[in-house]
Amino acid sequence: MTGTFEPTIVGFLCNWCSYAGADKAGAAGMPYPPNLRTIRVMCTGRIDAQFVLKAFAEGADGVLILGCHPGDCHYKEQNYRALGRHRLLLRVLEQHGIERQRCRFDFVSAAEAAEFAAVVGEMTADIRQLGPVNLRAVGADAQ
Amino acid sequence: MRVGVYFCRCGPGLDGQVSGKIDPGAVRGAVESLPDVAYFEVVDFACADGGQARILEHLAAHRPDRVVIAACSPRQHEDTFRRVCAQAGINPYLMQLVNIREHVAWVIEDPERAVDKAIDQIRAGTARVLHQEPLEAAELDICPDALVIGAGPAGLKAAMTLAAAGRGVTLVERGPILGGLPVRFEEIFPTMECAPCLLEPVLGEILHGELPGPIDIRLTSTVTAIKGFLGNFDVTIATSPRHISVDACVGCGMCIEECPTSVPNALNLNRTTRKAVDFELFGGLPNVPVLDEAACTRFTEGSDCTACLDCCPVPGAVLFDEVATATEKKVGAIVVAIGATIYDLSQVTRLGYGRHPDIVSSWDVERLLAANGPTGGELLTADGRKPRTIAIVHCAGSLDADHVPYCSAICCQTAFKDAHLVESKAPGTQIVSFTRTVVAPGKEAVDLYRHAFDGPHAVERRYHHPGDVEVRVDAAGGLAVSHATGAGEPEVTEVDMVLLLAPMVAGPGPRELAGVLDVPTDATGFFAEHNARSDATRSPVRGIFIAGTCQSPMDIQGAMTQGTAAAGHALSELVAGRTLRVDPATATVAPDRCSGCRTCVPVCPYQAIDVDGWTLKASVNSVLCAGCGTCVAACPSGAIAGHHFTDDAMHAEIEAVLHA
Ligand SMILES: Cc1cc2nc3c(=O)[nH]c(=O)nc-3n(C[C@H](O)[C@H](O)[C@H](O)COP(=O)(O)OP(=O)(O)OC[C@H]3O[C@@H](n4cnc5c(N)ncnc54)[C@H](O)[C@@H]3O)c2cc1C
Ligand code: FES
Repeated sequence: MTGTFEPTIVGFLCNWCSYAGADKAGAAGMPYPPNLRTIRVMCTGRIDAQFVLKAFAEGADGVLILGCHPGDCHYKEQNYRALGRHRLLLRVLEQHGIERQRCRFDFVSAAEAAEFAAVVGEMTADIRQLGPVNLRAVGADAQ
Repeated sequence: MRVGVYFCRCGPGLDGQVSGKIDPGAVRGAVESLPDVAYFEVVDFACADGGQARILEHLAAHRPDRVVIAACSPRQHEDTFRRVCAQAGINPYLMQLVNIREHVAWVIEDPERAVDKAIDQIRAGTARVLHQEPLEAAELDICPDALVIGAGPAGLKAAMTLAAAGRGVTLVERGPILGGLPVRFEEIFPTMECAPCLLEPVLGEILHGELPGPIDIRLTSTVTAIKGFLGNFDVTIATSPRHISVDACVGCGMCIEECPTSVPNALNLNRTTRKAVDFELFGGLPNVPVLDEAACTRFTEGSDCTACLDCCPVPGAVLFDEVATATEKKVGAIVVAIGATIYDLSQVTRLGYGRHPDIVSSWDVERLLAANGPTGGELLTADGRKPRTIAIVHCAGSLDADHVPYCSAICCQTAFKDAHLVESKAPGTQIVSFTRTVVAPGKEAVDLYRHAFDGPHAVERRYHHPGDVEVRVDAAGGLAVSHATGAGEPEVTEVDMVLLLAPMVAGPGPRELAGVLDVPTDATGFFAEHNARSDATRSPVRGIFIAGTCQSPMDIQGAMTQGTAAAGHALSELVAGRTLRVDPATATVAPDRCSGCRTCVPVCPYQAIDVDGWTLKASVNSVLCAGCGTCVAACPSGAIAGHHFTDDAMHAEIEAVLHA
């Protein structure tokens, strides 16, 4: 166990639901671990696999992708495409020795402040358990 | 490049909403040492008038190339600070708002960690802003005219409201007459008004009135393609031939008399016939017959019959050579009001629909009781007898998990109406109502409700589970309703006729049109709303509105109210002379990198991408593009750039958020 290990997690949040959910967690004063760094995209559909690989290559210990619930994507159904890409991505990551828990896809609506805080909390705890990522193999890939 | 960074304390000194947690003094050093940062300026309430004025003044004095504002959520104040930049003569897209309030100060408990996170987020914003490009929002001219699909109560009301406001309206109706379902009814609940009379004033206005906006009525037509968005839709309307000119025909009906070909009339339960050229419905408007290609021997057998043409007193009214056409129109908004249908009762086998001609649906009975129906409005069994006892079965297939799970809201009142009509047309007929859960809401329903159960010949029997009521047909053709009461043997009531109250269902219409409009349907098959409570007449697609029973089962009052509401939305969103601002944060294709692989085409939810047939290069229509970025991520050649969210900006942001 790496008791003192503090992971860095990059969170890609879609503007319309999950970023708004994070805003709501803020407005409601719901604390969550300081390990998350947020990056706003308009929609999870914009999230290129390269972004995730890049984040790991640059030293992220985890990547969190949050989008609108099924049926709620502001651009109709791009979250399904993002979900599909995430599945493929997990295989690529696993081939590079990056555990699937390090790259989580989830749905958080604009109303789900508590859910947002909970997801960040869970993810941080999971990655604390896993310890730092081994980035040798990925580094070459993302360049 | 010179980046100017503003830090909003969100309050005074160290008591601000942000500075209470994140001391700007602790952030300053790290930010000032970033390459390209020209200065780090602290403000109190950046978003307030005073704060904006201060930033404006500072920007004007220092003229940075890029601006970073570390404050609250871009969902709240991105537009505010973009305006401030624009006022300072800086392109608004050269500003990045970094959220250190909702995402940092308010959620990170330990101030030291909050400072770390704020620095990381500001560093990321500063890195990405260097890659941001100046963008110009396009102002688009809009077309204030509207398309209304479906000419039932909802569509008619929408068309009338829009035209009354001076908007040009194209009213597309699949059938040959206007009015939707109710023109086929005799009387309507809750007050037993004459249905055609209720619609008469609306139809009169639309057909012959002097509304300020022109109404282009397209009968026997539907919409087969739509491109564009709010303010700029291009629609394709397909019209099938009627073979009788609506403009020329005077409605004398001589052609009908002379036509030698008769076919069963499905509208009247096939109990009467109609001619190959005939009125859709006697009294339907416009008062012009239709020549049915499926019946006329010129089309079915290639005959050279000219009976209708020969007797027609108006030259140019009979048009044998008319063919299907497709026309294009430009409109700014679309109201979809294509109505619904009733559930196919033959699916509910225990109720016997289809096994005996005197087991009829609520729709059939509207026709059986109509003055222009098969018996001239007299209530008779299929073999011409006056029925002595009629069973009215409520919830025939509704509130039934195996059939229609919901309550379709209008059937109970339809049943009361039918009971009333039966009583007035055939006084003394015994009416046995099998009810399950009576739904008669609103301030007007109560009279018919009382009437249905209080009359001297009315009996009400309650049943609980869908399977408790069964309709039996014996070998001799006798009808009986068996009712399991839970105590002992089922009660059996012999009847002459059974009327089944069929629930309203979406039918295939919404799903078929959904493909054309790109408006989703929900699990019930009705159109999905933007928000089922607060915006029920707005579809999830901007500029497309839904009204009437294609949204949910409802009565005529509801449909007409929705038609008016949908027209109201269209009127407030499209004002003639105003322009529509198009966000420039869209996608564009670099043709030299595009391989023409078409990966991007299907991922676009707005059909905004076309691949040129000759050059095999993709291009994005920036008007249709909403900037989701899915094609950007999907392009295997990296040929599509998502403005404001370019790969360069995103990669810089990812890198910087992780590296001190
Ligand atoms: C048996 C029965 C009895 C009823 N009795 C009453 C009553 O007594 N009182 C009451 O208030 N309500 C009654 N209703 C409900 C009433 O019929 C509806 O509320 C009303 O018809 C809804 O109006 P609408 O304009 O939404 O749809 P509709 O009346 O169904 O009109 C839709 C129109 O759109 C057209 N259309 C469909 N698809 C297309 C397409 N793709 N392109 C172009 N046009 C298309 C159709 O031809 C039709 O003209 C009854 C319903 C039923 C089934
Ligand atoms: S907008 Fe949230 S996932 Fe598409």
